[in-house]
Amino acid sequence: MIIEADVHAPPGPRIWAIGGGKGGVGKSVVTANLAVAVARTGERVAVVDADLGGANLHTMVGVPSPKLNLADFISRRVATLAEIMTPTPVENLWLISGAKALLETANPNFGQKGKMLRHIAMLDVDHVFLDLGAGTAFNVLDFFLVARKGILVVVPEATSVENAYFFIKAAYFRKLKQAQPRAQVKAAVDAVMNSRARERVRTPRDLMAQVMTVDADAGAALMEEASTFSPSIIVNRVERAEQARLGNEMGSACRDYFGIRLQCLGSFPADNLVRRSIDERRPAVDLFPQSSFAAAVRTTAAAFVRAPSEATG
Amino acid sequence: MSPARYEDWKLLDLEPGADLAEINTALRLRRALYQSGSLATYNLLDDDERRAMLERIDEAYRRVTGHEPPPSSSQPRGEPAAAPPVEEPSGPAPDPRTEPGALLAFHRRCRGLSIGQLSAETKIRVALLQQLESENTDELPEAVFVRGHVLTYARALGMDNPNEIAALYLAKVKLD
Repeated sequence: MIIEADVHAPPGPRIWAIGGGKGGVGKSVVTANLAVAVARTGERVAVVDADLGGANLHTMVGVPSPKLNLADFISRRVATLAEIMTPTPVENLWLISGAKALLETANPNFGQKGKMLRHIAMLDVDHVFLDLGAGTAFNVLDFFLVARKGILVVVPEATSVENAYFFIKAAYFRKLKQAQPRAQVKAAVDAVMNSRARERVRTPRDLMAQVMTVDADAGAALMEEASTFSPSIIVNRVERAEQARLGNEMGSACRDYFGIRLQCLGSFPADNLVRRSIDERRPAVDLFPQSSFAAAVRTTAAAFVRAPSEATG
Repeated sequence: MSPARYEDWKLLDLEPGADLAEINTALRLRRALYQSGSLATYNLLDDDERRAMLERIDEAYRRVTGHEPPPSSSQPRGEPAAAPPVEEPSGPAPDPRTEPGALLAFHRRCRGLSIGQLSAETKIRVALLQQLESENTDELPEAVFVRGHVLTYARALGMDNPNEIAALYLAKVKLD
């Protein structure tokens, strides 16, 4: 599998943001195991617990009580994000903990968020994995959009699939909202959204079509923007063979229905050993390297390692 | 009948010029995606949109093949699909470097296809499919044909990297 290049890849670490519209789909388990698997290839990895309200990543990478966390950075007790990078028992893997940060920072303001993103981009590592919170709050969407790849974790359940589509739609509209530098485009979008045509806008594709009828130039600018939005998904807890197809099927549905590219980066099998690894507070890829889950994680991790560190052209 | 347009191929998830076996596979997969029991489109479309989409898929099929699509084998609306007649594989996918033949068989079973069904879709005879899966180097034809068969096989299953699989397969079996 080749991870599709993103034309907007900046220099610095490759940032992978992992979210999921729904809690309890195994986001943190997936993030921790991918980060460990990439670190085991010799690349330097920072894993950031950006679940600013329900942080528990630290336990999964074997750092029971990190001394410093994001709250120390946001409240300026430390000057740089690098200062709160905590070594983990895994070589080449550092943790930036969100633990205990919830009261002060669960809703960082715009400036704090921007500062955090700038510092993440300056970390002296090859990869940064951002474990985002559940839901579609603007903070989650903004971290998702700023990453090299925004990755949704879904499980083969109707509610998870439904949430994933909701998330994709929300992230896409958020992206369009952020990227309307031209007054002309904004005016055209507003004209659609404030008119009766709004009722016909259920998907990004509908919005594009409606804007096109109002202002063809603005429509073209929106389409240009849409082409840079390519989220991806990982299907977790796959139990039956036909569920392994879910990721690619959702990709097809997304393309047909939303006009959005959605790449599937892997299907991770349901594996009782994963639960045991959580109980033992160690990542499954280390504790049970022979498990089917670990094998699938390593395959996806290899694609992250192969992804070019800087987009060309 | 109007000629096939690029959009028709795209709607079937195919590149223009795909052969009939590929088109039939695509039709089956696309119909499955938009049936009402499909998990991947859960709550994404309402019933009218589903029907419209299935009609568009059949229409695209008519234009690219020039004939009527086979009747849909779909179950009554809302019913789960029948269990595939082929035993589903368990465990992880085999490593394409060390067991490319087993990987092909794994993906075939994942799609619920028997060797016979795959033979019907790919027009590769059953015995040869079996030899491909078992990496039976004594019986396999020359490398250039094996490459073609592996490509056809991988494409018929909708695998996303047929060229890579074919290269790994040839690297493994080392045919002269």
